[in-house]
Amino acid sequence: MYQTRTDKTTDETDTFPSFDADDDISRVQANREPQFTLSKCLDAVMVMGNSHLVMTRNNKLAIIASHCQESHFLYPFKLWKSGDGHGDDNPSTSGDGKYELLSVANDIMAEEIKILMSRTEVKGNQTDTLLAGSLAKALCCILFIKMLTGQEIKSRILVIKAADDCALQYMNFMNVIFAAQKQSILIDACVLDSDSGLLQQACDITGGLYLMIPQKIALAQYLLWVFLPDSDQRSQLVLPPPVHVDYRAACFCHRNLIEIGYVCSVCLSIFCNFSPICTTCETAFKIPLPQMVKAKKKKLKPST
Amino acid sequence: NHKAPPSGCLNHLQCKNLHEYLKELSPTILDKLYNHPATCLAVYRELPPLAKNYVMRMLFLDQPLPQAALALWVKKDSQKDHDECVSVLSGLRLCHTQQLQGGLQGNILNPIFKDNLRIALLGGGRAWADQGDSLGPDRHARDVESLDKYALERWEVILHFMVGSPSAAVSQDLSQLLIQAGLMRAEVGDAPCITSAGFQFLLLDTASQLWYFTLQYLNTAQTRGMDLVEILSFLFQLSFSTLGRDYSVEGMSESLLTFLQHLREFGLVFQRKRKSRRYYPTRLAITLSAGTTANSSSATGVVPGTGDSGFIVVETNYRLYAYTSILLVIALVALFSECLYRFPNVVVAQVTRESVQQAIANGITAQQILHFLRTRAHPVMLKQNPVLPPTITDQIRLWELERDRLQFTEGVLYNQFLSQADFEVLRDRAQGMGCLVWQNVTHRVMVVSPQGHSEVKRFWKRQKSHT
Repeated sequence: MYQTRTDKTTDETDTFPSFDADDDISRVQANREPQFTLSKCLDAVMVMGNSHLVMTRNNKLAIIASHCQESHFLYPFKLWKSGDGHGDDNPSTSGDGKYELLSVANDIMAEEIKILMSRTEVKGNQTDTLLAGSLAKALCCILFIKMLTGQEIKSRILVIKAADDCALQYMNFMNVIFAAQKQSILIDACVLDSDSGLLQQACDITGGLYLMIPQKIALAQYLLWVFLPDSDQRSQLVLPPPVHVDYRAACFCHRNLIEIGYVCSVCLSIFCNFSPICTTCETAFKIPLPQMVKAKKKKLKPST
Repeated sequence: NHKAPPSGCLNHLQCKNLHEYLKELSPTILDKLYNHPATCLAVYRELPPLAKNYVMRMLFLDQPLPQAALALWVKKDSQKDHDECVSVLSGLRLCHTQQLQGGLQGNILNPIFKDNLRIALLGGGRAWADQGDSLGPDRHARDVESLDKYALERWEVILHFMVGSPSAAVSQDLSQLLIQAGLMRAEVGDAPCITSAGFQFLLLDTASQLWYFTLQYLNTAQTRGMDLVEILSFLFQLSFSTLGRDYSVEGMSESLLTFLQHLREFGLVFQRKRKSRRYYPTRLAITLSAGTTANSSSATGVVPGTGDSGFIVVETNYRLYAYTSILLVIALVALFSECLYRFPNVVVAQVTRESVQQAIANGITAQQILHFLRTRAHPVMLKQNPVLPPTITDQIRLWELERDRLQFTEGVLYNQFLSQADFEVLRDRAQGMGCLVWQNVTHRVMVVSPQGHSEVKRFWKRQKSHT
């Protein structure tokens, strides 16, 4: 069974959404809903992307697939360099009633996912995806568009996630979230399988929406109903309420979630066990020990 | 020394937007129109944002939704927006009410609209037009720049013709259209000359001009024997095409081909020769649907003759500097200001009371003058907020209001009554008929509206013969 996971991120900006879709669909397929495959998920994403592009003339879209080995832009690929994406060498024709812009976009997306899948080698039971990396790419993409057009655009990132959280990415993830918050970019999350604490935090901090989908087969409908409206309309519509967020931090040494820990007073890094030298900033701590007992040399725990 | 305004009221240019236009069409025509994905897309794009979300939500539902459920979609304090959305959707016949099982009222999208919007979004159905691939690559392919240049040239010829430049020549059809649109007036045997509505038209931005023009053309379509649905669908299809790509004329009917030739003259499409099998939509065609939105405060598309940026600087001492050498633009500026100096690249003008009131006498409003100045404002001006100095905007409006101190109403004067009783009888009669305009009891003078004059006269004659 094909076990690779791919996350797809989509940026939305004025609205420019980027979808991050996490394709752990194959695992889900084995477990619960056999009808829900990767291609169905992609179809739902395409419908969402098309609906977004159709909304207004100025809307732009980017789709990133997040994989265990890389994050890859599914759309657009090289269109930005040529301007509006017109007059390129091989314009495909829709041949049917689809709006031309959309059929070009969909063809590119299908092409790119094929390329991505064909060059991925399945190595054992990998369950992690480079979600933080994809999010970072999405942020760069948004910034690029902002510089290109020179205007302020409203953007948001939608993450469609099937894989589990990866504790190793905690640091990078939090950094990305705070960067997004600074840039007033919303992060929405559509979670397919199990709740993700990281994404809940992301949505809470940036002001986006978090939703766990009960019926994966209706993914397209959920996307259109909940995640399509932009921030202006969200204030008018009734949408799923925010969830209770688990704000526990992960320690820097093991990446476990802890409630009580040790904090370095210089760089504020968090450790679950005491160590006399902070591994991040290398400050040595003077510990007042009782006189009688000789200071035991504490072994420095190797940081991961 | 104010000239008396011409008799009759001056018509101010009414620019309808797409939705207003569609609401006037009959339901059968609307349904036929919605049978094309491009039209559905164009109408969808013009909806208010909340309505767009409603349409998207209902797009994939096959069953009607109870009205109560629909009302739950919005928060409590956005109820007004919800009602507005529903009225917009039903006014355009996008949303129908249907009886549900159990007697409740439900809402469902117009099935024709729903199917075609789905096609536009997801695919399936017939292709909009032959994409021109069957013709192979074009040996005389045009790039985007040359298309833009061509479009602007053609559009400017029309504007030049309206202003009366001798060099501009347009086809009989086009001048006929301009006359029918009320933008020009032709005396028998003379060349057409511009009307006050024409002046107002000239001051609009390109997108609004295009749209107004197109609407006028559509109104005359029936008389030309063209199918309104066909040409409107084609127009929307054009507005969604990709700039720089060629399309084939395969499968287009006779009337559509004639329409294409007219579009060629307006500068909306480019065709190398009349008999060419392929055509290129220009930027004007693509921004056509953008011109239907009411607020065109941001200059979308290209301002004729000047590239993308504005060129007018207005100072607080009423001086105006127009950095242009285009004759048409200079003529437009001269409509409401006094040109003082002309240099190769700049025209210096002064906005004076006389010049503004002259313009207003020609039917231009202060609002149009200010809109013109704002949309052509130089980037340096755009940096300040507000863009135009408040002194100038206020003063131009005040000059306009000066003319409103006096209001002229036509009427017929009745005076020299022999007795107070006669006067009062007639006055009461006129008042009862609702055509009394003014009276002065002490002088026994009254003014009756022209419409009521014949009635009043008859009544008076009867009175006189009785007494």
